[in-house]
Amino acid sequence: MIHFDNVIKVYANQNRPALDHVSVDVDKGEFVFLVGPSGSGKSTFLRLILKEERPNGGAIHVAGKDLSRLSNFKVPHLRRRIGCVFQDFRLLPNKNVYENVAFALEVIGKPRRFIRKVVPEVIELVGLEGKAHRMPDELSGGEQQRVAMARAFVNRPMILLADEPTGNIDPATSIGIMKVLDRINRTGTTVVMATHDAAIVDSMRKRVVELEDGKIVRDQSRGVYGQAY
Amino acid sequence: MRANFIFSEVWIGLRRNLTMTIAVIITVAVGMAMLGVGLMINAQVGLMKGYWDDKVEVSVFLCGKGTAMPACNGKEATGNQIKALETHIKSIPGVKEVYFENQTAAYKNFKDSYSANKALVDAAKVEDMPQSFRIKLVDPDNYQPIVQAVKGQPGVAQVLDQKELIGPFFVMLDRLAFVALAVAIILVLAAALLIGNTVRLSAFNRRRETGIMRLVGASNLYIQLPFVMEGVIAGLIGGVFSAIILIMAKVFLFEELGSFFGDVTSQLGWNDVAQTITITMVIGVVICVLASFVTLRRYLRV
Repeated sequence: MIHFDNVIKVYANQNRPALDHVSVDVDKGEFVFLVGPSGSGKSTFLRLILKEERPNGGAIHVAGKDLSRLSNFKVPHLRRRIGCVFQDFRLLPNKNVYENVAFALEVIGKPRRFIRKVVPEVIELVGLEGKAHRMPDELSGGEQQRVAMARAFVNRPMILLADEPTGNIDPATSIGIMKVLDRINRTGTTVVMATHDAAIVDSMRKRVVELEDGKIVRDQSRGVYGQAY
Repeated sequence: MRANFIFSEVWIGLRRNLTMTIAVIITVAVGMAMLGVGLMINAQVGLMKGYWDDKVEVSVFLCGKGTAMPACNGKEATGNQIKALETHIKSIPGVKEVYFENQTAAYKNFKDSYSANKALVDAAKVEDMPQSFRIKLVDPDNYQPIVQAVKGQPGVAQVLDQKELIGPFFVMLDRLAFVALAVAIILVLAAALLIGNTVRLSAFNRRRETGIMRLVGASNLYIQLPFVMEGVIAGLIGGVFSAIILIMAKVFLFEELGSFFGDVTSQLGWNDVAQTITITMVIGVVICVLASFVTLRRYLRV
């Protein structure tokens, strides 16, 4: 599903590469934790999958497509098959829960009838039934992150990328967030989650890929966060 | 493509940047009106030139009994002088037609053109009118040699070319058109920059929305169209105002001008105005679209 082959990424004005000869394979339906200290290249890894950045070397395949051969014109179609969740939720403050989720479908031109059908389903899936008409500032951090996950998943993407989704949320609420991610993973969606949260990684017992200074230092199925932390 | 989604986005954008939108509308309106007035003056000048070229003639006034011109020396032109003059004029190259206007005909023309001023007409007598030769030219713009050839001939009091009289007027109109077009170009430039700024503000205001749109895979067209439409709508509203200005210019300026000079054939018609309005509207909208696109390329990475 995601295939990195000797990928090098060097940002302009920086000598040290953000990613240094990274090779990883993520299969369909896998759940992968991406761990490592700040600046180790986790976010760069995710941005490369979305083709928000271009690698300086190596090859990236996502959903069977070679990203270097993908024209700019087709990048939006790639992104429609990838959902994204961030630490800062990125909800639209002037739209309610339903409208925030529906927005993701409206802007890719889905018909209204389809939107009316699937949005309530996915709001229920993330556990926000009955709160569809709340505004984001009326929700807790955990609930806001659930809205963000509903928005990321509403178009049934093949891949869900989560960049520190529990970074702004207390540990108790984080467990609920992880349950939703697990539920999404069980529908067959590949999940890649970058995180600092050792407790979560240890409790989930999923594959762990550890980055340090842009290099993969560990790739372990059913791993833990690591004793160094 | 969901039209109502795009339009609600456009509406929100226009409302958020209301003052900038108004600035764009005013600039486009005035700029396009200037462009239109310039084009209309040019068309009007063309029409009037054609009209006058048909009419202009060189008038050769002959010495009469009391003519106070130094060339006459107080003597009336004799029949022989008049005959000799006619053959001389006919021999000048560039002369198309010559006819003689006697005092009766001159008096009639005088009465016609000053019919409003009854006192003047009453005071003038047939004997006061000068006799004259009227010369039509092959090329009305090339009157100088003919005037030179006739001047100073015995019996000639004064040579008048109408082209010389109306020439400065055309020069003034040409300058007016030039000024209007120059102002139009400057304003069009200002409008383009203003639109660029508006789009930039708009893109900044909506960076959250556009960021999410990019993320969930909205196409470039879908992301950019609301911004471009904002420009187009501001341009169109500006165009409507410029159309109103142009219609007023036609009614209050050009029709006044036309009633001053000549008849209906030298009047700028309504279809000329319609054509000008169409041209200015198209130019206005095209400029808005271009300015929006160029700015979006810079400030809305997709």
